Amino acid sequence: MTAPTRTSTRQNPLSVGGATLFMILFAGYFLAPVWWLVVTASKTRAELRASHGLWFSGPFELPGNVADVLGFDGGLFLKWMANSVLYAGVGGAVATLVAAMAGYALAKYVFPGREAVFNVILAGVLVPTTALALPLFLLFSEVDATNTHLAVLLPSCVSPFGVYLARIYAAASVPDELIEAARLDGASEMRTFFAIAVRLMAPALVTVFLFQFVAIWNNFFLPLVMLQDSTLYPITLGLHTWNSQIPHNPDLQLFVIVGALLSIVPLIVAFLFLQRFWRSGLGVGGVK
Amino acid sequence: MTNREGAPAVAHAVEQHETGAAPPPSRGRGRGPVPVRPRRRVRHGRAVVGFLAPFVVLFAAFYLVPIGYAVVESLYTVTRVGGTFGRATEVFGGFVQYAAVFSNGPFWASIGRVLVFFVISIPLQLGLALVFALLLDSPVLRGARFFRLAFFVPYAVPGVIAAIMWGFLYAPTLSPFTLLTTSFDLLGPDLVIFSIANIVNWIFTGYNMLIIYAALQAIPPELTEAARMDGAGQWRIAWSVKIPMVAPALGLTGVFSIIGTLQLFNEPLVMRSVSSAVGSDYTPNMVVHATANIPNYNLAAAFSVVLALVTCVLSFTFLKIAGRRTLS
Amino acid sequence: MRNHRPGRLLAVTAAVVTTVAVTAACGGGGDPGPGGTTAAGACEPAPPGTKVELTFTSWVPGMQKTVDLWNQNNPDIQVKYTEVVGGNDGTYQAYANQIKAGTTGDLGMIEFDNLPSFRLQNGLADIGGCQPVAEGIDGYPEWTRTQVSFGEEGAVYGVPQDVGPLALYYRKDLYDAAGLKPPATWDEYAQQAAQIQAQGGLIGNFMPDQPAWFTALAWQNGARWFTVGDDGTWKVDMTDPKTLQVAEFWQKLIDAEQVNTIPGIGDVEWQALDAGQEWTLIGAPWTAKLIETNVPSGNGKWAVAPLPQWSAGGTAGGSWGGSTTVVWAGSAHPYEAAKFAMWAFGDPAALALNNENGGQFPAHTGQTDLPALSEPSAYFGGQVIWTEFAKANDQVDPSFAWGPTMTDTYDTLSNGFGQAVNGQAKLADVLGDAQARTIETMKAQAIQVG
Repeated sequence: MTAPTRTSTRQNPLSVGGATLFMILFAGYFLAPVWWLVVTASKTRAELRASHGLWFSGPFELPGNVADVLGFDGGLFLKWMANSVLYAGVGGAVATLVAAMAGYALAKYVFPGREAVFNVILAGVLVPTTALALPLFLLFSEVDATNTHLAVLLPSCVSPFGVYLARIYAAASVPDELIEAARLDGASEMRTFFAIAVRLMAPALVTVFLFQFVAIWNNFFLPLVMLQDSTLYPITLGLHTWNSQIPHNPDLQLFVIVGALLSIVPLIVAFLFLQRFWRSGLGVGGVK
Repeated sequence: MTNREGAPAVAHAVEQHETGAAPPPSRGRGRGPVPVRPRRRVRHGRAVVGFLAPFVVLFAAFYLVPIGYAVVESLYTVTRVGGTFGRATEVFGGFVQYAAVFSNGPFWASIGRVLVFFVISIPLQLGLALVFALLLDSPVLRGARFFRLAFFVPYAVPGVIAAIMWGFLYAPTLSPFTLLTTSFDLLGPDLVIFSIANIVNWIFTGYNMLIIYAALQAIPPELTEAARMDGAGQWRIAWSVKIPMVAPALGLTGVFSIIGTLQLFNEPLVMRSVSSAVGSDYTPNMVVHATANIPNYNLAAAFSVVLALVTCVLSFTFLKIAGRRTLS
Repeated sequence: MRNHRPGRLLAVTAAVVTTVAVTAACGGGGDPGPGGTTAAGACEPAPPGTKVELTFTSWVPGMQKTVDLWNQNNPDIQVKYTEVVGGNDGTYQAYANQIKAGTTGDLGMIEFDNLPSFRLQNGLADIGGCQPVAEGIDGYPEWTRTQVSFGEEGAVYGVPQDVGPLALYYRKDLYDAAGLKPPATWDEYAQQAAQIQAQGGLIGNFMPDQPAWFTALAWQNGARWFTVGDDGTWKVDMTDPKTLQVAEFWQKLIDAEQVNTIPGIGDVEWQALDAGQEWTLIGAPWTAKLIETNVPSGNGKWAVAPLPQWSAGGTAGGSWGGSTTVVWAGSAHPYEAAKFAMWAFGDPAALALNNENGGQFPAHTGQTDLPALSEPSAYFGGQVIWTEFAKANDQVDPSFAWGPTMTDTYDTLSNGFGQAVNGQAKLADVLGDAQARTIETMKAQAIQVG
């Protein structure tokens, strides 16, 4: 490809059309399975196999199906939803705050062993999650806390990756001069962090939060090991359970599909909400 | 690890960005930059502890202790006294488990398999993520907000669910894409690796796109503006200005792709229920899982430790190679 | 070598936390509990007037209703029930973790083939000395009693729940139209496979992902994969002539493309049955409800015949699936737990509920008296299919035993079978590999194996 002409700052309509078409094609690829999910969740069980997967068939059953899923087994699905929001929301928020503090300290203070601490934290990213599950289970067994909300929530509050991002963003978006100025004003280090640094790092912290939120939302191995009581399950584990029971209760096949669709909705809402922070610039410093 | 090569590189980008940015808002009595470096460590020791303590405590409890436990477990072995079943005791076994790991064919075969998987999946995934991010960032695209959301949605679908869903789409009898699924055996031994790669790419391309996009957003507009003034078109700006600037972010996504690929678990596990070509030892993590299921915790722990080390070595190798590229 | 720094740092940190971890480990797993050594006299009821609370885990659909019935009638022994995912879907791993941590609770469901594995982990209480068990255990078929005692005199490590004697489900409508009778021998099965292929169908499915199904077929032919010598040493023999005969039989059918080779007992299989591709299905009693609910289009078309035999007039059977309820070694109330288990899987009212809600074919010999099991089934063309399975159950060979690392053996088998149906291996070789691997795995567990 050659570089387009250097004539004007206005965009060549061909480029605009080509780029948009390219993106539309891929949007089709990314959304087709989701579309399939919507279509399938709107069918009756009898129509599931009988009809083509990418178009509606028979009566539009989505509201009825959703009501069925929400009402099934005493509203179990809503409990799962609430659990997931708890685990991902609280876990994500705590993880982000804690990571922000650590990242800020690693970026803005020089102290002996700084790189060593950072390296150990990053090495945490390398460890397979499957390896951690059993030791964590034994740990929580020691204090008799397996099969509780805390058993899933507490380990979710740690995000080594978040520290990594927070360190980079703190270095980028919090000028040393500002910190010095605050010190001269007599602000404590903590106060400086919460009053100034957090605000400057906000867009970056939103990113950390979003990634951690989704990671917890999708985590399924830890809850599987920790929880026996199905009222404590997050959505992923709940849907997995339903999925494994389909042979015995084929109604659950439709429930899994409807449940999967419902489980995406909060994430999209969160994404749309958090997207606002990005528009003000992900690297806020860059936009001034 | 990552910071050895990655962080300085990111910091480098960051530095450039700072020089390009406007001076920070001063709060009244600007005394100008103070030469702060030398004394800081003495002055704010308590603050450092205060900032780090919450994370370090949580990290120690939920990462270090479990890792330490796994390492200890991997050094033990089981002996048994009495009868058919006997009673098991764990005794120190040195590197017995590691010897078993190194002579375990299926484990190394699974590592080879995920490396092939990496080659099939990741260049395409990251290449597309970069192109998408550049387009989102460029003025030629209309509807960027929609595409940003649309491409990210798959990441919001839990991996287990995504795999179940694609399993439906692949199965010849269930799929709406009958022409494709009847002419190619997407679940057979030859193609199933591509089918799984497609699921993984579907989920993670948008995620990587966002990381790169975030880095693009951090490029000071002055830089691209200057290039435009010099008469550079969008292609040229992307190639000569933007891509070098986001190289560290690309490196980051690369490392995370390596880690993610080596830890591949949910997708192939779910695919087992629709494809006989996916064994219980398809990926290293599945080997760990199956071993823990026996249950042979000591061997499973040794597998995990070796897997973490392999991940470490490969991540470094990648960063070495990628680092040299960006330098040249 | 700065490359290695993080690794070394990790190791150093690990060493620092080692003490903590070891403490945690020993605290959890140090005390092996009374498993296997519970003296007969130790199983005493709680003093009168004490309220006992038990926990019970299973994945039988609707088991809660059985538990509710018990709780209504036994105010002093209340059972808290938890429904979990299937054993191999994660529950066995959870059990193993709980045994290690000493948090198993009281009662759990385990399939026959995984029982030795939990015995090996010293996780099971011997409830043979509990009065309700000692009095009632004779109500279960001999082959199930052998499996829950591991050949130890007077020992009972689990109460048999349900059994899976094999029979042949077949499409009566297609068979009648083709003028065929269900095959009485495997020779006939092979002949019909060719005839059916000529008509564009397949006689059945060799399920590569269901090694327990293959095991049941080898069991029928008299294979003895796991035996224990007088000195307590295990012997593994998966390549005996009997097993190889079964393997070669199916290898021929696979090579001739006369059988399907798709994953079994899942949506893929139901689709194939729905499309009328397969004329027979070798299945267990529990398969009936699955076919009925998942293949509605087969209504009235299916019937059940005895499993084909290796010799004309033979009466050998094997079991696919089937499960037990165990009392964990860590239970504080083995007597009450055993009492509940014997009721839940022996009392006619409980058995009827288990069958109605969970589709269980009870192990207890009293099952033949259950009204639900003597009713004709509309889906199966008015046939009383349960009498077929009751007959098949009587023919299951009691001398077959499972290995102590069955999960691993199954994994090796299903991986190999997957390659075999894709033309990358032969079934006979897969069995040889599985045997070698099983011995290796047992040795790694310090099990004496010869």
